Amino acid sequence: MQPFGIFFRLCGNEVLNRTDHLNNINYMKKQLNLFLLLLLSGGFCMACWKSDNLESPRVSNTKTGYKPIYIATELVYKVTVQSPQKLKNPGKIYIKDNYLFVNEVGKGIHVFDNTDKTKPVALSFIAIQGNIDIAVKGTTLYADNLTDMVAIDISNPANARVVKRLPSTFPNVVKAYPDVMDTYFECVDPSKGTVVGWEKITLDPNHLPDCFRY
Amino acid sequence: MKKLQHIFLVLIASVLGMLYACKGVSESPSNGGGGNAGIAGSMARFAIVENVLYTVTTQKLMIFDISNEQSPVARGEKAIGFNIETIFPYKNYLFLGSQSGMQIFDNSNPLVPTWISTYSHIMSCDPVVVQGQYAYLTLRTASACMRGANQLEIIDISNPKAPKLINVISMINPHGLGVDGDKLFVCEGNNGLKVFDISNPVSPLLQLTLSNIETYDVIPNNNVLIVTGKGGISQYDYSKKGELTLLSQIAVE
Repeated sequence: MQPFGIFFRLCGNEVLNRTDHLNNINYMKKQLNLFLLLLLSGGFCMACWKSDNLESPRVSNTKTGYKPIYIATELVYKVTVQSPQKLKNPGKIYIKDNYLFVNEVGKGIHVFDNTDKTKPVALSFIAIQGNIDIAVKGTTLYADNLTDMVAIDISNPANARVVKRLPSTFPNVVKAYPDVMDTYFECVDPSKGTVVGWEKITLDPNHLPDCFRY
Repeated sequence: MKKLQHIFLVLIASVLGMLYACKGVSESPSNGGGGNAGIAGSMARFAIVENVLYTVTTQKLMIFDISNEQSPVARGEKAIGFNIETIFPYKNYLFLGSQSGMQIFDNSNPLVPTWISTYSHIMSCDPVVVQGQYAYLTLRTASACMRGANQLEIIDISNPKAPKLINVISMINPHGLGVDGDKLFVCEGNNGLKVFDISNPVSPLLQLTLSNIETYDVIPNNNVLIVTGKGGISQYDYSKKGELTLLSQIAVE
């Protein structure tokens, strides 16, 4: 069981603080071969460390890294209806009757009247932080709002409103690290708000961030 | 006598009605569409089957009762392993695409989906769509998937307990896909969109390639194909064999 303990710990969602786990390091080295085997067979494993005062980590990329994009937590869970917006980074699509819904990755949903396929008409943009997925039943749209599931009444898309919110339905979407391996990143500071994404940054090789993944 | 005639007519009408209803189910072209729900693309992680909304996160299948449309109620979840990426409901089954394979759940009892089988393959990103007794699955190598193959797989699911690989077609960079009747649409990322003739469902024949667009996912519905990709949304008429006619585009800014 022990190797699996290590395995899952390394695959966990929290950033490990090296000093907290010093006692594990020797054990880990013993298990390194097994770990590498699991890594190779698993492919999805990840490791995150906070490099307080230990030797430099095994990250090869010291040129570019990532920093968290924060949004004030009280704004993250505020769904608003706006006038139609331009498409910037379209994601998934969904159709219901004559409506076409286009996800703007991480930002919300463009609503179109698609009665005339040669001329879809933009009706509104429903701004939903962290939104990726959509489903509709009747006149209710279900969407992910970062960690929450929201049900939105769209009987009038220009006046869509949240009718139900299920908090913390998807707790794992807020991550303390970027979805990239072999990289340094600025550690998350919860006092700055909620992390809604990660921005690529150029690193100063003399002042590398404290957090990294390899 | 008149009464008998009446009963007879009612009988015929109901048989026709049932036939029509069955036809409707078997030819439902895409992800969802039943029970007053909409239709999703193959990359969806949300799916509605009648009064139940399913969501897949990387490790969980979650179940929500939406009998009261405006008030979804969480009704439990199932652990489903690692890196589940997509969900496609078809008849009484849910097909889950993951980086390690396709899982099939029986959802005859929609609130209690039960695992039936897992079709495993090498690590890849892979959505799945289903028509008749065949599942079409794309496998793609990508940084998020670490490694794998770029291919389209055709899997016989006539026995959902034992899915069987029937055919493999190599692809360049496949993403979402959609199936409707004798046509299979496969997004090739930067390499456009491919249309296959699947008159013979087990051996798709490449009919057409649109290389001037970047494609991520599609929804084929009533002879209109909606395509999403980095450049925006495009809609095509696919009613004519071997042809896609551009109807409209919503371009990115």
